[in-house]
Amino acid sequence: MKRFIFLLFITYSLLYAVPALAAKLELVSSISEIGVGQEFQVDLILDAEGEDINAAQGKIIFSENLLELKNSNDGNSVITFWIQKPVYVEGKGIEFSGVIPGGFSGVLGPYYKGGKPGKILSLVLKTKNEGNGSVEIKDAKVLLNDGKGTEADAKISGLQFQVSNLIPSTKYQILDSKDTDPPELFTPEVSRDPNVFEGKWFLVFAAQDKVSGIDRYGEQETWSREPDRNKWQTVESPFVLKDQSRTSYIFVKAIDRAGNERIVVVTQKFAPWYKKPIVDMILTLVAFVVLILMARWLWRLYTKQH
Amino acid sequence: MIFKFRYFLVFFFFSVLLSIYFLLPIGIIFADSGGVTLTVTISQNCGNGVAEGSEQCDGSDLAGATCVSRGFTGGTLSCNANCTFNTSSCTSAAPVTPSGGGGGGGGGGGGGVIIPSGTTVVFSGRAYPKSTVTILKDAQVAASTIAGVDSNFAITLSNLSAGNYIFSVYGEDKDGIRSSLFTFSVSVTAGVTTNVGGIFIAPTISVDKSEVKRGDDIAIFGQSASQSEITVMISSDEAYFAKVNADKDGVYLYNFDTSSLDYGNHNAKSKSALAGSISSFSNAVAFKIGTKNILDQKPVKKILKGDVIGDGRVNLIDFSIVAYWYNRANPPVKVDLNGDGKVDLIDFSIMAYYWTG
Repeated sequence: MKRFIFLLFITYSLLYAVPALAAKLELVSSISEIGVGQEFQVDLILDAEGEDINAAQGKIIFSENLLELKNSNDGNSVITFWIQKPVYVEGKGIEFSGVIPGGFSGVLGPYYKGGKPGKILSLVLKTKNEGNGSVEIKDAKVLLNDGKGTEADAKISGLQFQVSNLIPSTKYQILDSKDTDPPELFTPEVSRDPNVFEGKWFLVFAAQDKVSGIDRYGEQETWSREPDRNKWQTVESPFVLKDQSRTSYIFVKAIDRAGNERIVVVTQKFAPWYKKPIVDMILTLVAFVVLILMARWLWRLYTKQH
Repeated sequence: MIFKFRYFLVFFFFSVLLSIYFLLPIGIIFADSGGVTLTVTISQNCGNGVAEGSEQCDGSDLAGATCVSRGFTGGTLSCNANCTFNTSSCTSAAPVTPSGGGGGGGGGGGGGVIIPSGTTVVFSGRAYPKSTVTILKDAQVAASTIAGVDSNFAITLSNLSAGNYIFSVYGEDKDGIRSSLFTFSVSVTAGVTTNVGGIFIAPTISVDKSEVKRGDDIAIFGQSASQSEITVMISSDEAYFAKVNADKDGVYLYNFDTSSLDYGNHNAKSKSALAGSISSFSNAVAFKIGTKNILDQKPVKKILKGDVIGDGRVNLIDFSIVAYWYNRANPPVKVDLNGDGKVDLIDFSIMAYYWTG
């Protein structure tokens, strides 16, 4: 009888055990085996699993004798701001770290209940040689949105697959989504602080692109209301302004990986006297009056001679 | 003579060009395409089989609605997993165009109306009467509005791309105190209007004393939705709960007798309930049980953790300053948010928690 009760207790315990909450950071791909010379996509996914996550970091490494990185894409990432943008360094892999202000607990949608996992970044890899391949996450950290930076008890999982010459080359296709949308509208801001850049004015900016991701930014400071297409310089945020008098218009251009552009402008803080709106208006008015007078004079000349 | 007339034409053309240059603002306008409306309802009660609060339906409970009442001629109406109507089995779909009166019967808030638009998200929910409600899109301020006297608000964001967005909403009460950030990620579909309903902004909370003499009362107060029921939670070794009703302006006040609390640090937070909807908890406000009473300073003047430049906000500027010190030696005290002598992921996580946009 005692044995029966004990077995019953164990059975009930197993049936009704509450699954422990644990966020997941995992590499997923549709492949388990692939041919030599083929390309395939690997996504780094964050599954909050009921937790509220606001920061993540790690390093993705892969067998470099079997694989080469063709492309990485952080478009549509759940990471809002990168502290360390994912960049591949030969022999070191791809290091990344970023934050999600306000936290992430899953992507809501109209066709399903609850939150779905979100993508952090995607990699396109090409196989070079036969063998057992792997893509792994190292030194990963996932932090809770609790105001203390508590580390979440995250499950980390990599990817294993076989590279073989026996796999037909048409088995896996990478979805090629064409990006025709420009990056999202964004608002650069200018600030200064004694703790950075010797208290000089600096510019901060961060644009988002939901398809291919942001590739780079361009900047120019000019007195003209329009940017000059030949004067863009590639910059990163934060950027110390060249015009510390802040009498220039500051144009910032975000370019996505498909080459689409979004240009935004920060107006002058201290316009020179001849660029002040009131002076600008008066000059415009005077220019119009002169034009009208000239037009009248030309018309009279024309009608007189006819 | 013809030669001179040409001059005039050139001059006129130049004038028109000049006018366009001076009068047109710099900007790019994108065309909208027609679309359908999808609904995402944020509800903590969805799935209990009872259509309540902002839910259109729940399981088999369709709140008395049928395909006919939704503007179709027949078919079977069902309920999506997110407690919105599924009209895919309704027949002879005849889109209803909104007319002046609006309304259309209780619970649910007029979903299913097809409005021509581009990729748009409409946010709606409850804040505080006449309060400012701000929406952050991917952590940057995107729009704000003023809630009505009934505490309800609606904000529309247009010209978005298809993809996953992280939106945050916060309210600002009559004293300028911000609520905790309510953040959610939504999948947005191209050419479609997505309604995000059922948002219930957490109450604001303050205390009148930072230190209370044990046995004296501490006043816990703030603002929430008009006539809502407020649950105040005081965290100690054991948690104490109390309920109080907000008045028509959404203001609530609870005087807590501190006799039952031990000496030391404690905190209080609150949440709000109205018509079946429940908000998340507010920020926690700390106080100490001691031997004397010390009045709390005005909460507005408190410096937020992560507000490096001290402008009352935690945003991209502060993030950039902290990022400058990432992995650098000897960071200034105000960028090292956990005081461990270095700037690492933990400092960014703390900043992300206190984010205001």
